[in-house]
Amino acid sequence: MKPESKLQHHPREEERAAEEHQHTRETAAREFATPEELLRHDAALTTVPPGLAARLSESARGLPGPAPWWRRWLRSGAP
Amino acid sequence: MVGSLVSQPIAQREGSDAPETGFEHPEFGRLYLEHSRAVYYLTLRFLGDPQQAEDATHDVFLKAFRHLEKFRGEASWRTWLYRIAINHCRNLQQTWHRRHLVNHAGDALWETTPSAGESPLRALETKELGLRIQAALDGLPAEYRLLLLLIADERLSYTQVAALTDQTADAVRGKLHRARKAFAQLFHQSA
Repeated sequence: MKPESKLQHHPREEERAAEEHQHTRETAAREFATPEELLRHDAALTTVPPGLAARLSESARGLPGPAPWWRRWLRSGAP
Repeated sequence: MVGSLVSQPIAQREGSDAPETGFEHPEFGRLYLEHSRAVYYLTLRFLGDPQQAEDATHDVFLKAFRHLEKFRGEASWRTWLYRIAINHCRNLQQTWHRRHLVNHAGDALWETTPSAGESPLRALETKELGLRIQAALDGLPAEYRLLLLLIADERLSYTQVAALTDQTADAVRGKLHRARKAFAQLFHQSA
């Protein structure tokens, strides 16, 4: 069996590169260097459920809220 | 007793400097606005279920509201909320007997994986992305999953991540390397 020369690899590599480029363009793929980058991207696409703030507000209604800053300051024993 | 929350929209009240969350207490409203997405994302990817994540985020902020006075400024607000969220999620997992979802494969498995973590991660801009990420995270040991989620938050330093996970910063760095490789392999497999 005749071994392939280095020159014969070039067309294949070019074809492969072209196919990859086409695939990338068609699927709008993005590359991330690390899992953290990918997770940051994912986090940026994630939205907090819109009703959560209202639900939380409703749940907290009637609960004693945090004291004002001046009361906390007095409790801390500040001079 | 000061600062209970009301449901009346802030915009309808005069002279209020509270953000547009519907919370009367401005300090808590700002806290929610600034950190709710991060807390929700952590719980979402930690628990793997949007409804459970919403419930958990609700409970985390309610706990924070109840204990706002206990915050002494020794940690950042973000790490304080993350601490509450992590403990809450762990308690939920124990309560729900969800430990069977955790992959208990030893570190040896991850040590022998190919170096997929060094190659770029290609992700399609589709709604499938979240499912693939979740599948990869679910396949990780819980410790690795939490490490990656915390490190992904650029506001946290290695020291803060170490404090949140009860280990040294050097240990975080070592485990993070293995976690990256394992995640990358699982993510590629989910394609």
